[in-house]
Amino acid sequence: MTEQSRSSRRRFLQAAAALAAAPAVSHATHGASPEKAGQDTPPALARLLRKADLPEPKGPRVVIVGGGWSGLSMAKYLRLRNPGFDVVLIDRQPAFLSFPLSNAWLADQVNMEFLSHSFFEAANRHDYRFVQATVLGLDRTSRKVYTDAGTIAYDYLVLAPGIEYDYPQIGIEDPVVQEQLYHHFPGGFYSSSELLTIKRKIQAFRRGTFLLTVPSGDYRCSAAPYERACVMAALFRRRGIRGKILLLDMNNDITIMKDAFARAFNDLYGDIIDYQPSSLLAGMDLEKRIIETEFDEFPFDDAIIYPPIRASRLLEEAGIADPHSTQKTARTDPFRYHLVDDERVYVTGDSRSQPFSKGGHTANSEAQYVAEVIAGHALGREVEWRSPQTMCFSTVAIDPLRAMSHITYYRYDEASKDFAFDRIHSVEKWDVTGGQASIAWAEGMFRDMFYE
Amino acid sequence: MTIVLHFTPDPENGRQVYDICARCHLPEAWGTEDGTYPQLAGQHRSVLLKQLLDIREGRRRSPLMRPFVQPRIVGGYQNLVDVVTYIAALPMNPAHGKGPWPEATPEYAQGKQVYQTNCAACHGQQGEGDDARRIPRLQGQHYAYMRRQAIDAKRGLREVDPGMSSVIIKLSDEQIALALNYVSRVEVPKQDLAPSPGWRNPDFSEVEK
Repeated sequence: MTEQSRSSRRRFLQAAAALAAAPAVSHATHGASPEKAGQDTPPALARLLRKADLPEPKGPRVVIVGGGWSGLSMAKYLRLRNPGFDVVLIDRQPAFLSFPLSNAWLADQVNMEFLSHSFFEAANRHDYRFVQATVLGLDRTSRKVYTDAGTIAYDYLVLAPGIEYDYPQIGIEDPVVQEQLYHHFPGGFYSSSELLTIKRKIQAFRRGTFLLTVPSGDYRCSAAPYERACVMAALFRRRGIRGKILLLDMNNDITIMKDAFARAFNDLYGDIIDYQPSSLLAGMDLEKRIIETEFDEFPFDDAIIYPPIRASRLLEEAGIADPHSTQKTARTDPFRYHLVDDERVYVTGDSRSQPFSKGGHTANSEAQYVAEVIAGHALGREVEWRSPQTMCFSTVAIDPLRAMSHITYYRYDEASKDFAFDRIHSVEKWDVTGGQASIAWAEGMFRDMFYE
Repeated sequence: MTIVLHFTPDPENGRQVYDICARCHLPEAWGTEDGTYPQLAGQHRSVLLKQLLDIREGRRRSPLMRPFVQPRIVGGYQNLVDVVTYIAALPMNPAHGKGPWPEATPEYAQGKQVYQTNCAACHGQQGEGDDARRIPRLQGQHYAYMRRQAIDAKRGLREVDPGMSSVIIKLSDEQIALALNYVSRVEVPKQDLAPSPGWRNPDFSEVEK
């Protein structure tokens, strides 16, 4: 036996011993001293106040809230940019499911295994810790995150909690109605159950009108609602369904690759897709299945209602959301991403305050940069700003998959003191090369976040 | 055992292969000043080919690009030879990103010294590189890109050949920045440049917005 394998075997035995001892030890700890739990703290809540089961950090601990495209990329690149960091990624979901490429999955062009990945593998491969927990709140003074798995202290905190639907923006204030709408006619951009529900809906659809909406504002994945209309139309045709797709767009026009999508709606799916721009929603009767816009009333048989979105409520609950911002984002330094008054707390991904297009590629490229910023802060290194990119593939036709592509860079405009589009390159033809590229793109992203 | 394969490049096929690359690298292959993407136009064919094969095999870590250079997407060796031939012949960006210190600053002079002592023997006096020895052309490359790559190489985050690695580990981050500032300011021969920064690759004009 070589020296190396002997010592690694020894380490393994120690780890096994520690594992065997763990339940007893942690039980004793929890019973004896739940952190500052007062006399009258109900036992169920005491659990929240104890420390989460994590080893003592070996270096500055960076806690990342949200295991989406931003958080996963961040965790990896933080470890790469500063191997001294102890990185903890928190997500409330047990596994990762990709929303990008989910339209291709609706059309059976990729399978569920292609979209689903294990947080464990990502954490094991890139040497950080994954904690499945729901974040309940923050204490920025003592630098602590409260979760349902206990408290976690941080030296740096990255908030990448993503988006929520903003139903009040379409006039639905009642939380009960919001939930009804969310469960019965989900938009497909927030939770994985939505995607499964949508696929079932499409499979079960036989005839009539299928309503889709495009939200206003900076919504997640600009092209996706238009892409979804195309994919569904292609599916209707494949299955010989005599149905219509009513696409109500809250914007005055198609928001991205306008000419190309208009061409696809007319030339490929003119008999199926009825595109209605400037359709501000004025009311909805869920029982009778009627949707009202300012000037019209449309009956529908089934629907996917994508409302406008906002930043995760977590920011608001943590007291860091800017009440004046439309999407309730935090006030952050536009180049460094930290809160204006706290260089230990960063906000990235789709809950960022910068107006970049929301989506997986933006989040990944941004995280590579922000990881360097945070590592630079800890190591005393300057990092120059660089633009995220938004790469977007849009499936227009299936069997075989044919897609368009669009890449955007950003620049800071001194005059308006805001970010603007820099170079945009759209490939507004749908072809097999684009379809292959879209799959290769997603595969590359999954490799980056989980496996390489 | 070394097996040598010979291919006759077909630039027209190279143009078609480049279509998928252009989705990210853009039709001009000019890269970005902030160093997120390198300038590929005008680079030596052997250098481009080596990068494609290194990324394909995982010797150069680029998980995002790796699926694109697999045979099922980009094709076999012939396609690789064709696409690098096409890229190498593209006119270069006449306004690539330069380092912060102009000529006549002491930093420029120091950088020239560092470059000539440490880099010029392989990369050439003018940063011209060497196609035959697969040594990258640095001339015309974005400063920010070169600096990130060099510093990553020094920290072991980018694999480079032993010769390069033995030099780079001896240099401080500051020396690296100075040397690269100098070489980023070497003039690119006019015949290699596009007429203006607004030039757009006509091979892809039908898809450019």
